[in-house]
Amino acid sequence: MAPDETMTNVDETILFIDYSRCIGCESCESACRFIHGQARINMTRTVGGIMAPVYCRHCEAAACIKACPRGALQKGADGAVLLNPVLCAGCETKSCILACPFGGIFCTGLEDAVAKCDLCQRRRSVGMAPACVEMCPCGAMHLVTRREALALATPEYEAAHRKVMEHVRPVLAPLKRRDQE
Amino acid sequence: MPEPSATPMNFAFAGPGPARANGRSVAVIGAGPSGLAAAGFLACLGYRVDVYDKLPKPGGLMVFGIPAERIPAGRIAQGVETLANHYGVSFHPCTKVCDRRQVDDTGDEFSTRCIDLDELVRGHDAVMLATGSWKPRRLNVPGEDLRGVYTGLAFLFPIRAAQYDRSRMSEINVAGKNVVVIGAGFSAIDVAHGALGQGAARVSMLYRRTRREAPCGSHEIELFEAAGGQWLELVTPVSILGEHGQVEGIECIQCHLGEPDEDGRRRAVPDSCAKMVLPADIVVGAIGETASPPFAERLGLESVRKNEIHWLQMTQMEGVFVAGDALSGPSKIGKAVYSGLRAAQSLSRWLTLKGINREFEYREEPPITREDLR
Repeated sequence: MAPDETMTNVDETILFIDYSRCIGCESCESACRFIHGQARINMTRTVGGIMAPVYCRHCEAAACIKACPRGALQKGADGAVLLNPVLCAGCETKSCILACPFGGIFCTGLEDAVAKCDLCQRRRSVGMAPACVEMCPCGAMHLVTRREALALATPEYEAAHRKVMEHVRPVLAPLKRRDQE
Repeated sequence: MPEPSATPMNFAFAGPGPARANGRSVAVIGAGPSGLAAAGFLACLGYRVDVYDKLPKPGGLMVFGIPAERIPAGRIAQGVETLANHYGVSFHPCTKVCDRRQVDDTGDEFSTRCIDLDELVRGHDAVMLATGSWKPRRLNVPGEDLRGVYTGLAFLFPIRAAQYDRSRMSEINVAGKNVVVIGAGFSAIDVAHGALGQGAARVSMLYRRTRREAPCGSHEIELFEAAGGQWLELVTPVSILGEHGQVEGIECIQCHLGEPDEDGRRRAVPDSCAKMVLPADIVVGAIGETASPPFAERLGLESVRKNEIHWLQMTQMEGVFVAGDALSGPSKIGKAVYSGLRAAQSLSRWLTLKGINREFEYREEPPITREDLR
């Protein structure tokens, strides 16, 4: 998440992963999968071999919410982007998955067609932290407000984050036209 | 450096806090990621948990194998403290669970106490075996037993272990020496960085394939090169040379990439003619470990892997469960954690149903799949 100077809801809670301290051990994915059955944070491996979890950033102006034609994705009271599986049609276009710039919505291939992080709403309602945050052996994961996240975004984080995002959303050169070959 | 917002490590993350004691006790053998995750889960449910480990501190390879730059040891220690102080989990360090048969693994030096498995089974309602993978794979080339030739674990382990007991363990002195590391996994890269950090004159990594196939990834290799290391690819050692029992060099042959193997990675095919000799004062063969569970045969671990025992992750010994690398071979921390959690859940379910004589109703629960262990 590139911290945006124009953001207004600085007190909304988000998940922040410092990729510069992440070793790609997969503990977050395992904890998530154990609690939720289907992991809502998933590992990726860049071409250069960096293992990192991709996850929902609970964007202020979330592209997935705009992309869903059935209103199955909505903002919760604390700013979390929540999926209402009852409204989700599991549409073939999976517009939410395509719309997310961070690869934070996952196709399950199961009855509930997509899975995404809800910041462990149920756990947090009884005073527990998200499972992934508690099981990260590196202390790379934080449940913080957008304001606090700004303070965590070190230059090392920025560099590591850029490497992962170049993989998740590669910037491709336009295809050559045939007459230019 | 602790940040104000850092959430403490919590192996007992499954529940909101310690539960009322349920009167049952479980022994967990091995305090690595798998054992700690299992202990945490069981502690949440009110079990009295005893954790046995051969090392002087809990954490397993998270503390003794993986360098502190990657996993802060303080965070693991704090998670263990929470288990001990808030959940009443008892830790028994320097204790190896034995089968009266000596197994020579890395880290055995610290075990001052030996407990028999049968004793544990008798003393607890159930046992969780999460002993991990501590047996280094051998290079299987002549000269492997020369002085100055180490395995990856034998090199990494003392760096951390020497902090606990200098009389039993000392670091391998690499200052000013020519170090050659064989392999390209994460432990190989950690060895290479460790050697550079401790003032080796020259550190070379040797890999039979290219950086594109390297398990640690090309990014890590770039970091190693940037730190002053030398990366040599498409070479494989054929023998380790030495005089008077001391290593002096490695004889290697050139390889080229052939057809893909079962993993889909192109295999290294040796070219018989192109030989070369690399001088070396220290050679580290960091080509991975294998699981070395005690009593593998008696527990029928092969049957557990094949799902022949109709209770998730239970062994042939009733009430003895197995999890993590001990069951499925070396893998990542996350896999070990998941395996430990699932086994603990299965163990608890079994004890609960057994208590009301209903354990047979659930015997056909779908077994853990390959996907679960991958």
